[in-house]
Amino acid sequence: MPDEEIAEEGILTPIQPAVQDPLLRELLADQAPLDTPLAQPQPTPTPPETVDCVVIGLGAGGSPLLARLAQAGLKVVALEAGPWHNPEKDFATDEAAQDFLFWNDERLAAGKDPLAMGRNNSGTGVGGSTLHYTAYTPRPLPDDLHLKRDFGQGEDWPLTYDDLAPYFEEVEQFLGVSGPTPYPWGPARPKGYALPPLPLNSAAQLMLRGAEKIGIRTSPAANAALSGRYYQEGVGWREACTNRGFCQAGCSNGAKSSMDVTYIPLAVKYGADIRPHSFVTEIERDARGYVVAVVYTQNGTPHRLPCRNLFLCGGSVETPRLLLLNELANTSGQVGRNLMAHTGVQVWGTFADEVRPNKGIPGGLISQDTHRPADADFVGGYLLQSIGVMPVTFAGQVARGRKLWGQPLRDYMRQYNRIAGINILGDCLPHADNFLEISDELDGRQLPKPRLHFTAQENELRMNAHAERTMRRIWEAAGATDIWAFGRYAHVIGTARMGLSGDDAVVDRDGRAFDVPNLYICDNSTFPSALSVNPALTIMALSLRTADKFLERERRRDK
Amino acid sequence: MTFKELLPTDHLSAATRATLVQRLAEAERAPAYEPQFFAPETLRLLEAVAARVFPQPERPVPILLAPAVDRRLAEGRADGWRYDALPPDREAYKLGLGGIQQIAQALFRADFETLAPEKQDAVIEALASGNPPGEVWQTLPADRFFEEILAELTSTYYAHPWAQDEIGYTGYADLPAWTRIGLNEKEPREQPLDTSGGALSLVPTAL
Repeated sequence: MPDEEIAEEGILTPIQPAVQDPLLRELLADQAPLDTPLAQPQPTPTPPETVDCVVIGLGAGGSPLLARLAQAGLKVVALEAGPWHNPEKDFATDEAAQDFLFWNDERLAAGKDPLAMGRNNSGTGVGGSTLHYTAYTPRPLPDDLHLKRDFGQGEDWPLTYDDLAPYFEEVEQFLGVSGPTPYPWGPARPKGYALPPLPLNSAAQLMLRGAEKIGIRTSPAANAALSGRYYQEGVGWREACTNRGFCQAGCSNGAKSSMDVTYIPLAVKYGADIRPHSFVTEIERDARGYVVAVVYTQNGTPHRLPCRNLFLCGGSVETPRLLLLNELANTSGQVGRNLMAHTGVQVWGTFADEVRPNKGIPGGLISQDTHRPADADFVGGYLLQSIGVMPVTFAGQVARGRKLWGQPLRDYMRQYNRIAGINILGDCLPHADNFLEISDELDGRQLPKPRLHFTAQENELRMNAHAERTMRRIWEAAGATDIWAFGRYAHVIGTARMGLSGDDAVVDRDGRAFDVPNLYICDNSTFPSALSVNPALTIMALSLRTADKFLERERRRDK
Repeated sequence: MTFKELLPTDHLSAATRATLVQRLAEAERAPAYEPQFFAPETLRLLEAVAARVFPQPERPVPILLAPAVDRRLAEGRADGWRYDALPPDREAYKLGLGGIQQIAQALFRADFETLAPEKQDAVIEALASGNPPGEVWQTLPADRFFEEILAELTSTYYAHPWAQDEIGYTGYADLPAWTRIGLNEKEPREQPLDTSGGALSLVPTAL
């Protein structure tokens, strides 16, 4: 334990974790020998200013609330592990060159269905994984939030669709989501999408063709990429999408609504202090268990930043890793548990038509007719989505999924311009076998690597089988040949879940940690269930809601 | 248009052009590449394996794939995850390549590099099958190792502009905006497709 930390008033470092139980804490304090750090408060020379809020992680969870807190006039500092890019100048239209967008520190993938991380499930940099998300922003449907009530399995959210709907609308309008009005599934909405849908690319047209033939209803999808110029506070005019199809390798013209061109500039306008290359290692607490400071490393130099409140938004791997390493907020024992991953099986086919699958928004067409299929033998459901694909990503999937090599691999890849895909995004149930833990293997930062255990259970397997049958039928109807399926799981969810009680959840419905009154968590780790839609929109909505609930509480305190 | 034709045009952004020019330059230096991680004979073995995973009989100079693997391992770069069942990448590659030599010895009593192409293919097929002979494979999961090496060689190969020409990909030439993105639509700068189901063959027939 470094001396300068002991010198701080009343600090308990994570090496001596704060005892959360008040009675036990009192008993222990009575017995504490005189030379403990607690008993030795010493003045420190010019302590750094205490900021109102520190936000760790600048993805979909951290950025909207950062803007909201800054707009409320609070002094906020954001610590982001990765760099701050200038996409127009720095982003090449080349997949390999864009690998820096992914969290490339190694994670260990265990279980029978190990989760691919890196490009599949992670991000780094100011903007987080929104820098390479596909911008797919469907809303969850109301019954996504109460699986347990409907099926007796899974978990219910401590929030309803109506709690979130105003925030969905706000995010959609602010980001400039392009989508159909009215939207064919779910409750009627007071307001339509900000912009009309993006044009359908070849894969979307083919899915439309096949789905029509077998009676599945489709619609142009909602995507957080601009179908026309759009004005936005803190940014100005953003240009329309150029159909470059490189969403998953970084948008170079700012048309895709990643956080770096939306909420982050808004936060900066209102005075937020953004610190890139800042990797947090420690969260310090006082004797009461409140967070008092974070310790982070920026470009190799350690810093200590005192704060009144902490918002942890590192995503569902780094958030639980930081909590576990700091032995924080885990009296429920749920940190790292309940790991879920969306079922994401893809079905590919070869067409006589020219497809050229690299062009256009990748997920152009959606169907939510499979949200609660009549013939389902599983809990929950899934959405269907047409998919375009970049060549190196596709080749990697062909290698892993089909195990083709030699001349057959080259021959198959020569058909790239005739290939199109559909995939699903489906719910997943929590299971005791699926969790994140800290391994004893160190990464490049000399910190233990996280190990993610994931084994698809009966429900996921049945849903995948149902979905694969459905997609094969669509592709056959559309005229595809050489149809094959690539089994995959996307998005890591649920490792610091939200709930009604600290007995079985880490945070409450406002994102506030049950154990630590000034710690908030906002990212996909707090999802109690996986939802049958892509998570980004819901994370952003929760982020704004968490900020509002926090600000309400602060105002009450002022009075 | 092909990569060579597109590269000097305004269809590429400065960042994209710089990336691709650098990749080509690296590829040109590849035949003289001095390994930084593998022993020279191990690098030769890896290149021999890569030559069967991506046979390129039509190219006077093939796209070499082993140097990129060696460079990555020397620099300690990772892609963000690994199968828990495999040891760390450096160890896995050393063990796995030794294991490929063991398969070659078990099947043909000779080193992999000395085998005829069809016998080399039989060795790789044994590895791909997931249950090859050899002591290494008692502890190293063959299916996972094969998947990893195949995925890395594949990503390296299709990142090369020649390979992108081969599959008719011109997505790097993305200026100005793509407007013809629907079925059977293409911009003048995109490559035409041949009628046999693939992209135009750019090179004369195989040797």
